[in-house]
Amino acid sequence: MIHSYLSERTAKDSPFLDEVVNSKGGVRTHWQRLVSSLDRLGHEDLNSRQREVDNQLRENGVTYNVYGDPNGMNRPWRLDPIPMVFGQEDWEVIEKGLIQRATLLNHILRDIYGSRTLIREGLVPFELIYNHPSFLRQMDKIKLPGDQLLIHYSADLARGPDGKMWIINDRTDAPSGAGYTFENRVAMTRVFPEMLRENQVRKITRYYQTLKDTLSNLNWQNKEDPRIVFLSPGPGNETYFEHAYLSSFMGFTLATGEDLTVSDGHVWLKTIQGLKKVDVIVRRVDDVYCDPLEFRIDSHLGVVGLMEAIRQQNVLVINPLGCRILENPGLMAFLPRICEHLLGEELMLPSVATWWCGQEKEMQYVLDNLPFLIIKRIYRTNEHRSVYGPDLSQEQIEALRHDIMARPYMYVGQEMVNFSTTPSYIDGKLEARNAVFRSYIVADAANSGYYVMPGGLSRSSPKQGVFLVSNKDGGISKDTWVLGEEPTQRSVSRTSGLLKGGDNILPSRTAENLFWLGRYAERTVHIIRLLRAILQEYYERNIDNHPDKDEALTKLLQTLTEVTLTHPGFKDDELLAKPEKELISLVTDAGRIGSLGQSLQAFLRNGYAVRDRLGLDVWRIMDTVTEEWQVLQGRKRLNSINHSLDNLIVKLMAFYGLTIDSMTREPSWNVFNAGRFLEAAMKSCQTMQGLLIEPKETETERTLLEYLLMINESLITYRYKYRSTIDLSGVLDLLLTDEDNPKSIAYQLAHIDQHLQPVSISEGKGLSTIQKKLLAAQTRVLLSDPRELSKIDKSSGKREKLDTFFSEIISGLGETSTLINNMYFNHTQQRYGYVTTKLPEV
Amino acid sequence: MRYHVVHETRYVYDSPASLCHNIIVQEPKNQEFQQVESYRYIIDPKPHFAADRVDFFENAFTYFAVQKTHQELIVTSESTVKLSLPRWAGVDARSTPPWEEVAQWLKSVKALNDTRQFYLESPHVYPISGLVEYAQTSFTPGRPILEAAIDLNTRIFDDFEFTSGFTDISTPLGEVFASKKGVCQDFAHFGLACLRSIGLSARYVSGYIETLPPPGQPKLQGADASHAWIALFVPDLGWVELDATNNLIATDQHVRVAVGRDFSDVVPLKGIVYSGGDQEMIVKVDVNRFPETA
Repeated sequence: MIHSYLSERTAKDSPFLDEVVNSKGGVRTHWQRLVSSLDRLGHEDLNSRQREVDNQLRENGVTYNVYGDPNGMNRPWRLDPIPMVFGQEDWEVIEKGLIQRATLLNHILRDIYGSRTLIREGLVPFELIYNHPSFLRQMDKIKLPGDQLLIHYSADLARGPDGKMWIINDRTDAPSGAGYTFENRVAMTRVFPEMLRENQVRKITRYYQTLKDTLSNLNWQNKEDPRIVFLSPGPGNETYFEHAYLSSFMGFTLATGEDLTVSDGHVWLKTIQGLKKVDVIVRRVDDVYCDPLEFRIDSHLGVVGLMEAIRQQNVLVINPLGCRILENPGLMAFLPRICEHLLGEELMLPSVATWWCGQEKEMQYVLDNLPFLIIKRIYRTNEHRSVYGPDLSQEQIEALRHDIMARPYMYVGQEMVNFSTTPSYIDGKLEARNAVFRSYIVADAANSGYYVMPGGLSRSSPKQGVFLVSNKDGGISKDTWVLGEEPTQRSVSRTSGLLKGGDNILPSRTAENLFWLGRYAERTVHIIRLLRAILQEYYERNIDNHPDKDEALTKLLQTLTEVTLTHPGFKDDELLAKPEKELISLVTDAGRIGSLGQSLQAFLRNGYAVRDRLGLDVWRIMDTVTEEWQVLQGRKRLNSINHSLDNLIVKLMAFYGLTIDSMTREPSWNVFNAGRFLEAAMKSCQTMQGLLIEPKETETERTLLEYLLMINESLITYRYKYRSTIDLSGVLDLLLTDEDNPKSIAYQLAHIDQHLQPVSISEGKGLSTIQKKLLAAQTRVLLSDPRELSKIDKSSGKREKLDTFFSEIISGLGETSTLINNMYFNHTQQRYGYVTTKLPEV
Repeated sequence: MRYHVVHETRYVYDSPASLCHNIIVQEPKNQEFQQVESYRYIIDPKPHFAADRVDFFENAFTYFAVQKTHQELIVTSESTVKLSLPRWAGVDARSTPPWEEVAQWLKSVKALNDTRQFYLESPHVYPISGLVEYAQTSFTPGRPILEAAIDLNTRIFDDFEFTSGFTDISTPLGEVFASKKGVCQDFAHFGLACLRSIGLSARYVSGYIETLPPPGQPKLQGADASHAWIALFVPDLGWVELDATNNLIATDQHVRVAVGRDFSDVVPLKGIVYSGGDQEMIVKVDVNRFPETA
C-alpha cells in the first residue's frame, strides 16, 4: 500500500513537503523500518489493528467533549495508527530549539512582570503587552521559588517547505494534551508492540516524572510532601477526561473551584473530613477565571480570594496567573531580536512569519494582503478564532479591514505556510494530510533547566489539503515517535518515589458524586428489574385479557408509578388499558424525572465526575453501559426493549463486581456503598409497599409475591430456604429481617451504618444523629413480626400495619440521606453573588 | 483647605451570609498638594483576615474576609486631608504645548510606561465611532493641549445631561454618547475615551467633593457622595485634573482617593458574598470642611 502513496507523492507535484517521501521519491531513512512493517502488514491486518486501537481507546474511556456536539458530550478520541516519526538528528535540533525557546519565554515572562526593561529598550512594543487582557497587573512583581516562572509549556510545530520545523503556537497558560499523549502511546504499545521495539522508539514517561518532581519540590514552605491539587473547570470541560486521568496518574487530588475555599489567606480543600490546606495548584482553569474577586467577576470556575493567597505566598499556582501573555502571537515577530539580546544566541526554531498591526508599516502590509494571510487576535478567545484570508468574501475582507483599522494593536497577520504532510490511515487508505506536532516541555527544577518530552501529540487535518487540526474541527491524533537511544539520566531530585499516590483525601463534592453514583446505580437496577417483571407479565398474560383486566399486571404497573414517582401514571385507567406508550416513555425519556433514562444518565454523569476514583476497568464498563443506553434510547417498541434491559442488568452487575474488586477500601468506597445500600433499602420498601398493601385473591397474591422475590433476586433463596409454597410471612421474613440475605432491609440498614462509620465525623460522645436514625430503623425491622404485620385491617380491608411500617422506614431513610447530605456535602452547595459600590452620584 | 471625610457603606443581606471576601479602595493618596493627615477604616463585623496592599497604579487597597455568619456588613472609612493648590492651578492654558506634540512624545519609548499606559483602551473605555470627531472639535490642529482639554470638558458639561439612575456599571459607552445622559462616572469615561482616541494619556480619578447646600440652607449629613473625574497628562504640569460634571479644573476642593484606567481599577468597595439572597446597599458620604484657621 505504501507504494501507491509514494508514487502519488512524487507524481502529483503536491505543494507540500512530505514527511515520508524524500525529493527523489524514496523513503526517508527514519521512516524506512516503519514503512516496510506497514507494507508487511497489508490492508487487512492494518484495518484490524486500527479497530484494535479504536477499541483500546474506547475501552479506556478516552474521550473529548465537544460543546453542542450532536453525538452528546463525550466524543471518542481518534487515533491514527500511523504515527508521526522524528529521526534522531532531526529531533536533536528540535529539542535544543524548544529548550532555548522555553528559556527565552521564561526570561520574557520575568521581565514583563518584573522590571519591564525589554519594553523600555524598545525590544518589545509597549502596546503589545499592556493591551493584552492577560497582562495581569495584579501579578506584577510575582515570584516563584527558583528562577523559573514558566513551569510547563507546549509549542505547536509543523515542518515548513524549507524542511525546518516552525513554531505555530505557544501554549503557556494551561497547556493540554499530555494525558491524551500518554493514552495514545499506551494504545500503540498494545497494538503495535513489535514496531515500537524495532524502531527504538524513545519512552515518554520521564516527562511525567519530571513534572511531578518539579511540582513536589516547588512550594514556599519547603515541605517534604506538599498537597498538590489539580484544578479543573469540571466534567463539562472539553478535556475533562485528561484532567481525571492525569490527576489520578500523578497522584494529585482532582478538584473544581467549588471544592476549594480561601480562609485566613490560605487555600483549603473541602473534604468529608474537614478542610485540608493546599500548597500547590496545577490549574486547567484559564488565568482570568481563577478568582472572580480580582479578575472576571462572571467566573464560577475559580476560587474567591485565590489572588490574595498567592500574594501571601501561601499557595503556588502553576503555571502562574498571567503566563498567558506569552501566547500572544504578536510576540513572535520580536523573538529573534529578544533572543539575541537576552541569550546572545540566534533563535533556533523559526516562528511563522508574523506581522503585528500595532506598527504602521506592518499594518499596511497586512491590510494590503488580507486575502492571503491568516488573521489572528493577539488574545485568543472562543468568539475570536483565527480567520483564513482565502476563505473570506469581499464584504468580510472589508469588515475585517475596518476592525483592524479601529484597533490595529489587537491583530496580527501570519503567513499561510504550506506545511508538510504525513500519511494518515483513513477509510482503509493512506492519505497525505497536513499535521501539527504539539511538544511538551517542563521545568526540570533539579537541573535548573527544561526537559522536553521525546514525543508528543501530533494531529492531522480531517480534510485533505486543509490545515485545521484542532480537536474541535475533528482533527485526528497521532502518536509521535522519536527514534534513537535513550540519553543517560541526569540527576534526580529528592522526591524519587515513582509517581506515588496522593493521601486519599476525599473532596466533599466528589463524595457527593460517589454517594449519588451508588444511589443511581441501585435505582437503575431496581427499576429495570421491576420493568422486566412487568414485561414478563404483560407478554405471558392470557391473550384475551386486556391489560387492565390482569390484576397482577395492574398492581405491578401501579407500583412502577409509585417507585418512579411519575404520578398519575398507571393510576390513570386509560393508561392502564394501553400501557405501551407510558412504559416506553418511562424507559427512554431521559428528560422525564423518575424515568429509567433519567436515572441511568444521572448514574453516568456522576460516574464521569469521579472517574479518577474508579479503576480503569470500571470506566470500560461505564462506557459499555453508555453504549447500551444509546441502543435502548432508540427503541420505539415495547417488545424490542427486553433484550437491552437484560444487557443493562448484566453490565451494571459487572460494574458492581468491578467496584468490589478494584476500588480500594478508603472513604470513596464507603460513601459509594452508603449510597448504594440506602437506595436499595428505599426502593425495596417502596416496591413491597406497592405490591403488598392491598390483599388480592390467593392466585394473584402468589404471582405478586413471586415477582417481588424475582425483583429482589431472592426467588431461588426462598425456594431453597423454605421449600414450600410462597406465602407472605415467609417472604417478609426473607426480605425484611433475614440478616444473612443481602437483599433484606435489615442487611441493607446494617451496611449503611457500617460504611458510614469509617468516615464519621465526631459530634462528641455517643451515637451520631445519623447512627441514631439508622439504629431506630434497624430495631423497628428486627423487632417486627411478619405475621402481625400481614394482618388485614377490618374496616379498610388493607394491610394498614404493613403500610405504616414501610412508610416509617422510607421516611427514616429519607431523613438519613438528608443528614448525610448536611454533614458531608452541604458546604459544597454554596452560592455567591457579587456586590459592588453603586455609581458615584455627584 | 482641610476636609474630614466619612464614607460608610452598609450591605444588608436578605438571607445571612456565611462568608465574604472584599476589596476596599478608599484610602486618600498622599500627593504634593494633598496631605493625608489621618485615615482609618472600620469593618463590622470584625474581619478574620485583612491585608493592606498597594496595587499596580500605586493605590492603597485592603483585602478582607469575614468568615462567620452575618446579616449585615458595614465598612466605614474616615480620613482627614489637607489640600493645597496643585501646580496646574492658575497656569495659563495657552502656554501648554500643542497636543500633537504630546501625543507624538507619548508614542516614543522616552515616555515612561506608567504614563503611556493611560492612552490605551481599558474595560470601560474603548474606541467607538464618532469619538475622534467629537474630540477633534476641541483638539484643532496645533491647539495648546490644556486649552483644548478645558474646551472639551466644557462641551461635555454643556452637551450631556446629568441624570441619576439612567445608567449603571454595565451601560456601554456608546449608549452614554448617544443619549448624552449619565452621571460623573459616565462623563469621566467619555472624556477619557475622547482623549485616548487622539493618543493622549488620561486616567480616571476617584474621590470626593463637597456638595454645598443652596444658600441659606443647612448642610445635610450623609448627603455627599463619592465622585469621579479625570486627569490628563500635560508635560511639566503632570496629571491635570478636569471635572466635567462641574465644568471645572479640580484644585483644592477635590479629595483624591485612587487613580486607574477606569472605574474597574478603583471600585471603592467590591466583594463576593456567600449568601442565598439579594442584598441592599446604602452608602453615606460626609465631606466636611474644617473652619479656616486664619
